[in-house]
Amino acid sequence: MNGLRTRRSLVDMIEIEHLTKRYGKKTAVDDLTFTVKPGVVTGFLGPNGAGKSTTMRAIVGLDAPTQGLARVNGKHYSEFRSPLTEVGALLEAKSVHAGRSAYKHLLALARTHGIPKTRVQEVIDLVGLHEVAGKRVGGFSLGMGQRLGIAVALLGDPAVLILDEPVNGLDPDGVKWIRLLLKGLAAEGRTVFLSSHLMSELAQTAEHLVVIGQGRLLADTTVEDFIAGDGKSRVRVVSPDAARLAEHLAGPGISIASPEKGVLEVSGTEAAVVGQAAAAHGLVLHELRTENGSLEDAFMQLTADAVEYRQTTEGANR
Amino acid sequence: MTAAVMTDRPAAYAPAGNYKLSAAGLLRSEWTKLWSLRSTWIVLLCAVVFAAGLGALISGTVPSDMEELSGAGMAIDFSMSGVALSSIFIAVLGILVITGEYSTGSIRSTISAAPKRLGVLWAKAAVFGAVVAALFAVMVFATFFLSQALLEGTGMGGVSLSDDGVLRALLGYVAMIVYLALLAIALGAILRNSAGSIGFYIGVIMILPQLATLLPWEWVSDVTPYAPGDVPMTTTLVDTANGTLGLGESWLWMGIWLVVFYGLAAVLLKRRDV
Repeated sequence: MNGLRTRRSLVDMIEIEHLTKRYGKKTAVDDLTFTVKPGVVTGFLGPNGAGKSTTMRAIVGLDAPTQGLARVNGKHYSEFRSPLTEVGALLEAKSVHAGRSAYKHLLALARTHGIPKTRVQEVIDLVGLHEVAGKRVGGFSLGMGQRLGIAVALLGDPAVLILDEPVNGLDPDGVKWIRLLLKGLAAEGRTVFLSSHLMSELAQTAEHLVVIGQGRLLADTTVEDFIAGDGKSRVRVVSPDAARLAEHLAGPGISIASPEKGVLEVSGTEAAVVGQAAAAHGLVLHELRTENGSLEDAFMQLTADAVEYRQTTEGANR
Repeated sequence: MTAAVMTDRPAAYAPAGNYKLSAAGLLRSEWTKLWSLRSTWIVLLCAVVFAAGLGALISGTVPSDMEELSGAGMAIDFSMSGVALSSIFIAVLGILVITGEYSTGSIRSTISAAPKRLGVLWAKAAVFGAVVAALFAVMVFATFFLSQALLEGTGMGGVSLSDDGVLRALLGYVAMIVYLALLAIALGAILRNSAGSIGFYIGVIMILPQLATLLPWEWVSDVTPYAPGDVPMTTTLVDTANGTLGLGESWLWMGIWLVVFYGLAAVLLKRRDV
């Protein structure tokens, strides 16, 4: 029994291969390649305009890639006989006619696949919209719109969930609720792919991270490794002899910054090495401390590099 | 021990439901969508009330001593005089059936559920076409009998369905309005914008061919009968000899324009990002 079920785990995933999408001259997504695996929540991190939404729209076939492929379980989304049970997507809040009630919106979508009314009621209850399900969506708050979007995504009980900024507009209770919901869905063996421009949000929900900036892949790693690896701990030194200490520390793989007079930020080495160097040359230290980069720092660093890279290449083309 | 076979990561999730996207499903979905908007009820009610009301009003106010107003052809012209106005309501609603999805963003939900896309266009056309056909079949015949009752005693009274061409002309009115409804859906699918589509329909399809006949060039008046909004005209005439096109031509050109509009709509729907 168990062996039979695990076989599916090999294919239940999202594959992005060399995906490129241009709108006119603007490149939204640039040769992006990664996979999203089942069983964990995968975060899709990037600043606004990084290409997250475009990538997600390509997965469900709303946008045709300029180059490359976006596949789910080895198939293009439009090849599925029952798209709603394969992939559930929350793309933009309120992809709903403002004049239609939440219930009728869900019912209309359910009917395309022959999904029964009982399931419609089930997802309405699940997202907590039962009291307003009969009301027109035009009067919904952003948070209620998001809940409806999540109900749409869950309607077909899909194996793959794609959610674009699902916590936008949710109150703290709602944020907590969706965090637990997504973790639970992933624990059932589903593929959960969730985007955000907030690192703090993903840090609490996701296990795996795909980070993009300017449409390019910056990192594809676990949240832990992302913090530890790319977060680059650095050594902060306060010394009246900072300039002389910097001379002695300089070497390959070591970068030294001086944010203010008498302060050094050294990366690529450890506090012990800095302390020994200071002692060996008789230099006075007022402070010696290791600073661990937070996910946010790491993210800032990665995206800042991506922005810089972009600007220099544009300058060179002129 | 069952605990021993448990892994820390469960197997991928396999959905339990046996659901499938189908053509019947798309039709039911479009049916639900059409009737779940208040605007549908209001616009259809307006279309029927204006068409029947205007026909009855005009028929009811014909003086009995006007000898030159007589014959089945004129009787039907009088009783159906509100249909032209009514067709604008229907066209606007047809346009909104599809452009409303683009303006509100619900098209993304729709296309996500039916990623092959074309089924959505056919389902919308089939459902709206069928609703308009049923509604106007009832409206056209009800208005005909009502106005005949009102025209009793004038030169246009005493027309029966069995009179030559009468039934065909009344069915022609139903066909014309269904044709215009279908044209409106395709136009909405092509332009994707409510204001643009309604403006195009009224300006280019309805008014332009009439204005064009004022132009001094002879070829213009040769061409205008073939304009998409003008081709159904002959089908509504009791005596088709009065039409600018023959009856067969009229049907043929309705078919040609539908193929052209839907062909373009289908290609664009497939190719454009949503």
